[in-house]
Amino acid sequence: MDTLATKRVHLLARVAFVWALLIVARLVQLQVVQHGKYKTLAQQQQQRRVEVRAPRGMILDRHGERLAMSLPVESVCVNPLRVPDIAVASDILSKILNLDHGDLLYRMKTALEDRRGFLWIKRRVAPQEAARLRGLKLEWIEYRTENQRFYPNRTLAAHLLGGVDFEENGNAGVEQALNDRLQGHDGEMLLTEDVQRRGFQSTTQSEAQPGEDIHLTIDSSIQFVAEKELAKMVDQHHAHSGSVVAMDARSGDILAYANYPTYDPNESLKDKEAAAREDLAVAAPFEPGSVFKVITLSAALECTRLRPDSIINCGGGKIVLPGRTVHDHNRYWELSMEDVLARSSNIGAINIGLTVGPRLLEYVRRFGFGKKTGLPLPGESSGMVRRLPSGKGAIGSLASVSMGHEVGVTAVQLAQACSVIASGGNLIRPRLTLDTPVAKPIRVLKPETAITMRRMMEGVVIKPYGTAHRYARILGYTSAGKTGTAQIYDNHLHQYTHLYNASFMGFAPVTNPAVVVVVTINGTAGLSGYGGPVSAPVFREVAAAALRIQDVPKDLPEMLPATEDDQADVSDVAIVDVGSSIPPPLVQPGDAVTAGDEPAAAAKVALDQRIFSAGPAIPVHVSYATPVSDAPRVPNFQGKTVRDVIQESAALGIPVEFIGSGIARAQIPEPGEVLPVGRSVRIQFGR
Amino acid sequence: MATLAPILDRFTTADRTQPVPAPARALEMEDQFAVPQFPNEDVYFRVKHIDNSRVVRTADPAARKACWRMIGYSFVFATLVITLLLPTLYDLMAGYRMEALRQERSRLQLDRAALELEEAKLISPARLAELAKMQQFVDPAPENVVYLDTKSDAILAKSDADPAKSSAALAAK
Repeated sequence: MDTLATKRVHLLARVAFVWALLIVARLVQLQVVQHGKYKTLAQQQQQRRVEVRAPRGMILDRHGERLAMSLPVESVCVNPLRVPDIAVASDILSKILNLDHGDLLYRMKTALEDRRGFLWIKRRVAPQEAARLRGLKLEWIEYRTENQRFYPNRTLAAHLLGGVDFEENGNAGVEQALNDRLQGHDGEMLLTEDVQRRGFQSTTQSEAQPGEDIHLTIDSSIQFVAEKELAKMVDQHHAHSGSVVAMDARSGDILAYANYPTYDPNESLKDKEAAAREDLAVAAPFEPGSVFKVITLSAALECTRLRPDSIINCGGGKIVLPGRTVHDHNRYWELSMEDVLARSSNIGAINIGLTVGPRLLEYVRRFGFGKKTGLPLPGESSGMVRRLPSGKGAIGSLASVSMGHEVGVTAVQLAQACSVIASGGNLIRPRLTLDTPVAKPIRVLKPETAITMRRMMEGVVIKPYGTAHRYARILGYTSAGKTGTAQIYDNHLHQYTHLYNASFMGFAPVTNPAVVVVVTINGTAGLSGYGGPVSAPVFREVAAAALRIQDVPKDLPEMLPATEDDQADVSDVAIVDVGSSIPPPLVQPGDAVTAGDEPAAAAKVALDQRIFSAGPAIPVHVSYATPVSDAPRVPNFQGKTVRDVIQESAALGIPVEFIGSGIARAQIPEPGEVLPVGRSVRIQFGR
Repeated sequence: MATLAPILDRFTTADRTQPVPAPARALEMEDQFAVPQFPNEDVYFRVKHIDNSRVVRTADPAARKACWRMIGYSFVFATLVITLLLPTLYDLMAGYRMEALRQERSRLQLDRAALELEEAKLISPARLAELAKMQQFVDPAPENVVYLDTKSDAILAKSDADPAKSSAALAAK
């Protein structure tokens, strides 16, 4: 018989058993029957979807220097429905985030009234602001990580790079054109967290794909020089705007691409800045003016029997065309074809163009005008090349095209056209990204035509009467080019204004061109607003920098250029490129010293003293020796052949020292200087 | 306060009508072994002295063996369970570590990007030009440019402060 205690134990056991049974039943219900439901609930509580941001690709220059990059930054937002006190919240947030208190309070109140569960307070806040907010440990403040685009070089290559909007989509420049490659695709990760919100397990739902880095062909250093020189010249001449395009003559790589006025892409667009953001070099076609004579003369060399020494009738500076009369800037009667280019005779160019005939337009198109260059830039214009009208209008149209009117070109198109001459007759497509394969060159001119054109264009620079003489000569290098000055047409008044498009397109060195530079400055005025004095100096500085940076071997001894005005006939288009006050490079007024020294030597002494001087520069006053008025002066041998130099020096009784062969490209002493007794003139010849 | 026993007794006792004997407070006082009762409780404790000094435990090898076997099985079972759970535990710890490292990597990448941005700002051509202007560096004069052979003559540039050393280096070559 069971005792009382045993009975008690048995009863307790039964109760416990029933209890356990209930628990097991409940467990079965929870873990088996309702497994799915509670698993979902647990996951919702423990797991969090984390967005893995894929940064937008960087934009780098050809040497890997960063031009544009993205950094994750925090944005602040709130759920207005969870904010305990709107007034206090707006007070705290406005103070830390430097926001207008009233505006923020209004926005939060409106959001609350609209029962909105999300409100951006400030996007892309500074790290210090985010840290201060986090320090408050207010649970109703939420943070979102977003990427922000930074342009560390600020205005450098601003038009080329473009910009992005708030969602990091490109809205201008390369950022827009190559948006698909630059833009990354965000990924998603499922993160399991413990009660202290510490993650301990993560599953990648979709892989983040960062944007592709784009290596541009531009060189930051050359770009900087181009922008600096362009800005300086535009400001100096009170012009409206300007563009510079520097291009590798062999590969078509765009080395510099500058527009002015410019802007800082880090800052949002302001009302007055809209014009500054226009990419003039590809989007704004203009009448090129005299630079187009290069095309006319190239076509003439190919299609006619005209040669550089062929005499062209310049009609005394006037030609009568059907319906109009065209005047030249100077009254030339007869000029050789190379002098037509060097002196930029309009009538000469018209006559050459008329000799070529309708095939001129074929060559215009062959040089790439009237078609987009294919650069990955939005809004590129294809320019304008009209069809030749029938009848008498054809002559007038041909005449206009011959001297660079009735056509619209962009600076990039001009650079492409200039590269035809520089590359020996091949059209080389410009390239903006290093991963773009170099396009197969298209034969446009015969090699001999291109070589002839090179020498003729060199004459523009080295001939004493060349329109770019003194302005486009580069120390240590041969250079060639063509100036252009086109009057700007007023679309409202339907007439030409007295403002000019001053242009220069050229390349260097002449023997083996490495760089092509095109400069256009829009809105110059007055006698000093022509292509020679305005654009050619920019070419000189940019080309010199490009040649130096690219380690191109020098093909001339480093001689100081002339400091005095030559009797140059520096005229182009319908305008005369008269001498300006722009000083030649390196020799600046106030640099040289020592009365009695030769100007060149004096300048050299002064410059030597300034080389890498760590301390303050020694101010040295310059005063050139006053030349004896009746003493013989050194003539200008530049641009002449060896034979001509021998004849002229023999006639004057001047001893000459020859270096090299071909055409005289530089000389010491400079033209116009007094030759000291017992000294000879040293002349550097080159082909 | 009622204890569990009276509650259980209500279910186990056959005659529930039988009255419970009343506590004899007098008896309590008389019994020298009685200890004080709980207040308001019908529970009585008595002390009974038992002398078990003469009790000798009977040797039971089977029980001892069973005991040790149980201990062994328990140990093996515990080891097995721990061994089975160990990878999971390790995974958990590794998960914490990995997530911490992942966050650390993100932070370092962010720091690196910020430093790269700073570097890019510092070496921008505009800033370098400004610094060169402050230091009054100018372009060298014509025919005064010295090109260093980056492979072999770089040392000359470094030892420029001491011309004697430069000469010696040249002579050695």
